[in-house]
Amino acid sequence: MKRPPTPETLFNRVSLRSKLMISMLVAVLFISVTIAFVARWILVSSLTDELELRGSAISHSIADRGAEHILDNDTPQLLSLIFDEVRLHERKSLVAYIFIEDRDGTILAHTLIRSMPDELRKHSLPEGVDESTMLLSDNGEEVYDIAVSINEGLYRIGTVHVGLSKSHIDSLISKLRFAFLGFISGVIIITLILSSQLTRRITRPVSDLTRLANEISKGNFNIPLSRKNEEHWDVSNCPAFTNTDLPCWHLDQSALPDSGEAEAHPSCGNCVFYRTRPGDEVAQLGNSFRSMVWSIRLYRHRLHESEEKYRSLFDSGPDPVYVVSSSDGTILDANPRAEELYGYAPGELIAQPFTVLAANETQEFMTDLLSGGDLGCVYYPKQIHAKKDGEPFFVNMHACPISYQGKPAIIIAAADITEMIEKDAQLIQAAKMKTLGEMSAGVAHELNQPLNAIKMGTEYLRMAEEGHVIPPEQQSEVLVEISAQVDRASEIINTLRAFGRKSDIATERVDLNAPINAVLSILRRQFELENIRFDLRLTPQLPPMNGHSNRLQQVLFNLISNARDAIHEHCPADDPDAQRVITIRTGSLPGKVFAEVEDTGGGIPPEVQSKIFEPFFTTKETGQGMGLGLAISYGIVKDYSGNIQIRSTEGQGTVFHLEFPTA
Amino acid sequence: MPITITTLMRTLALVFLALVALTPGCTDSGQPASPATPTPGVTATEIVLGSSLALTGHAGYLGTQTLRGAEAYLRYVNENGGIYGRSIRIISRDDAYDPPRCLANTQRFLIDGNIFSLFCYVGTPTTVQVLPLLDDAKVPLLGMLTGANALREPFNRYAINIRASYYQETGTAVRHLVEDLGIKRIAVFYQYDAYGFDGLVGTELALKRFDLEPVARSFYIRGTLDVEDGLEKIMASDAEAVVMVGTYSACARFIQLSTTRGFFPIFFNVSFVGAEELARRLVAVPDARVVMSQVVPSPGLERAREHPDDAVSEYLKIIKRYYPGEPPSFIGLEGFLNARILVEGLRRAGPNPTREGFIDAIESIRDFPLVEDAAITFGPKDHQGMESVYFTRLIKGSFHPFTDWNVLRATE
Repeated sequence: MKRPPTPETLFNRVSLRSKLMISMLVAVLFISVTIAFVARWILVSSLTDELELRGSAISHSIADRGAEHILDNDTPQLLSLIFDEVRLHERKSLVAYIFIEDRDGTILAHTLIRSMPDELRKHSLPEGVDESTMLLSDNGEEVYDIAVSINEGLYRIGTVHVGLSKSHIDSLISKLRFAFLGFISGVIIITLILSSQLTRRITRPVSDLTRLANEISKGNFNIPLSRKNEEHWDVSNCPAFTNTDLPCWHLDQSALPDSGEAEAHPSCGNCVFYRTRPGDEVAQLGNSFRSMVWSIRLYRHRLHESEEKYRSLFDSGPDPVYVVSSSDGTILDANPRAEELYGYAPGELIAQPFTVLAANETQEFMTDLLSGGDLGCVYYPKQIHAKKDGEPFFVNMHACPISYQGKPAIIIAAADITEMIEKDAQLIQAAKMKTLGEMSAGVAHELNQPLNAIKMGTEYLRMAEEGHVIPPEQQSEVLVEISAQVDRASEIINTLRAFGRKSDIATERVDLNAPINAVLSILRRQFELENIRFDLRLTPQLPPMNGHSNRLQQVLFNLISNARDAIHEHCPADDPDAQRVITIRTGSLPGKVFAEVEDTGGGIPPEVQSKIFEPFFTTKETGQGMGLGLAISYGIVKDYSGNIQIRSTEGQGTVFHLEFPTA
Repeated sequence: MPITITTLMRTLALVFLALVALTPGCTDSGQPASPATPTPGVTATEIVLGSSLALTGHAGYLGTQTLRGAEAYLRYVNENGGIYGRSIRIISRDDAYDPPRCLANTQRFLIDGNIFSLFCYVGTPTTVQVLPLLDDAKVPLLGMLTGANALREPFNRYAINIRASYYQETGTAVRHLVEDLGIKRIAVFYQYDAYGFDGLVGTELALKRFDLEPVARSFYIRGTLDVEDGLEKIMASDAEAVVMVGTYSACARFIQLSTTRGFFPIFFNVSFVGAEELARRLVAVPDARVVMSQVVPSPGLERAREHPDDAVSEYLKIIKRYYPGEPPSFIGLEGFLNARILVEGLRRAGPNPTREGFIDAIESIRDFPLVEDAAITFGPKDHQGMESVYFTRLIKGSFHPFTDWNVLRATE
């Protein structure tokens, strides 16, 4: 609701300049009006009195000098006398007329150039009174008629009348009034001009500052800071403007070292900015304000530079970088590299949920992210992300909490490691091929057995052809057996094919027992030929795990091969007493499944245990192995977030313990 | 939004205007429109003029001569049909060269209100006395037998001079005395009134041009013949010439006494002294070198023969006809010329003359060939028609025109 402004609020609303002007004007007006009115009153009243006194003096003078002419009855002289009196220049407009009557009231002489009007004769001087004044009207003009008695001795012989023009007196008074009005007006105008100049001088810097402040509030810093009569000063001319290593100390307090009194840079003294300028408080305020604006501009410039610097780091960084909101998991910002790598148009990623990049793989991350806990920087290796067209690839993700635009957020750097992963896969594949070669002897054995059985079966059946009677039960039995042996051979071949196949990027659910059985199906016969016995303690119904079956087979193959080598090394095959057993165990723990491969070899010395997973580390003789088997196995287990541990007692054997999280 | 300076100023200006408007008594009420009143002194048959002049007393000759000169011509005009059918009549009142009486006469003329114009006043103090009345009554005064500067400066629309001024008379005379005769010692004898002062100042101004001053100044009182003291003072100064600004009786007595006492300077008299009357009184002193300046040509027969169509010969004819036996005189000729200009003005003012129209008509006169060697010209700021100054000297009881001042050299 709008209220009518009270005088107080009205006064508050007017500008400082108006306030000053009004105050000065009111003061001057009050004083001058008072003086003018007092002076006018004194002057007007004394002027009127003075003029009437003058009229009276004229009358008395005529009365004195005219008496002899009246007695002489010399009217022309009387006439000449009163004409002389009335015509004296300065009296001309004041004295309207003079006339003289004798004691009977007959007009003896008058100064009019028309006949004597009767109105003027109304004023007769009473007997015994020497002087009297009366306001008469002569032909519409008001006249103060001053009558003075002309005496001879004690007695009156006539009367002189002097008419003072009231309009003349009034015009004098009105001149006076105008003079005073003019005086007051002059004072007011001069005061107005002076106060206007003065207040402008006072308030202009303030107005300038206000304007500057408004401009700055609008974000316009490109306002000229130089003042009138000052050489043009561009902030960017200051060496400190472009060189942030060169702050001028007494300005840039933030860069002040702890000791405090650092010298100003020699070139700072040349800046107009640092010169002290003389002036009153307002001017000093202006200077301080300009220094402040100057500083703001300087710091804005630096801030801008810094922002540019980090922006360019963000924009032209070689790895994708995302800023993801901690509250809802949407992407707040992504650098061009991210858009390029993931195949999105510029800006397309903004406001998308981060999960669009990798729905499955980022679940864990998103859970962590949205849980809101203080994560610190977290590393997520070998995450599978998907490009916009769905093509998956590997990244290593670093996520660190930051504050972005005042809100908690996560900055995520995703390094593309697809190429590395490819190399890994190739290495694994090569190792697998080598393993296949090593397995060939066992495979040959394994295939030999069904082939022999088939051979025997077919020869037996040929006997029937040669005339031997084979009971139908036996014939049927042989055929079943042959068929079973074919199945077995084909199973072995399938196993080999699966082993040799290059695994997919995506993992599958695997029962840990399956790869063990697959490996054993190939190696068992051969190992038994080498007098090595398997002790299998597989726990059925294991929970599944995420992984690749053939890679797990490779791991197990490596471990079992090493176990056989250790056994061979420890006790010769022809020692009948020797314990030549490889024990394979599987089992499950809460959230985990494990498999153990135990040999009865000579164990591993502790100093070797720590190096055993390093690439190209081998205890075997040169030419026997590359030293990559265990390193690759270690990498595969780690890929599945698993763990591999060694328990070894020297002289008693070694246990390799594999552990994987369940799916 | 703050109240700006502009609005503040505007408010102040309004307040100021209101103050001015409310101040009472500052405005003149409009003059009431004067109705078309008939011109005073003008009737269907005549135009009446008022004249206050000395008909008696020590300057009576001047007044009567002036009046006769003027009346002669007006009678001539009236007899010839008047002006647009109106005859011209002068009401003359005698003031005996007394300013109060002149003032009283003039006031009477104005109060009675039956004169068209004032005409043919005689003498400086008298005319100067009535001068303020002209402005008040807005009545023209034409033809004054005086060369007083006060009637010329400051300019007064209602005062119309015909003749040259005393300044011109004394100035020309002093120039001739100093330049032609090499006289440096000049004294002034004057009548102690406005007329005398005017002549004194004129002489002093003329002498000042030659870096001179009067060697002596003396005066007498108007209406008296007490010139002895003045004479002694001037004789003591050993003046070579005396400028005399007085009336004929006092001046004649001064010259008589001077010659009696063996003092023979050049006596220079201004025109107002009255040539014929002075000459008549100086018959007994034929040796005195008496010079008189004139503002009209000599009304002699010689001139009439030289310029038969001149106003001078006209004057001679008319004065002879209407005032037979009256000898022509300089003063009479001046009055005659005044009447000529008056008639010319009335003619130009048209059949319905007004006072203002009459003045305008006079001002319209340019190069009016009244006197052949001195055409008359007026103008809106020029209320003196003639500029000429003529010199006459006393030879055997009468004044004769002359131009060669060497004849005045003292015969050793």
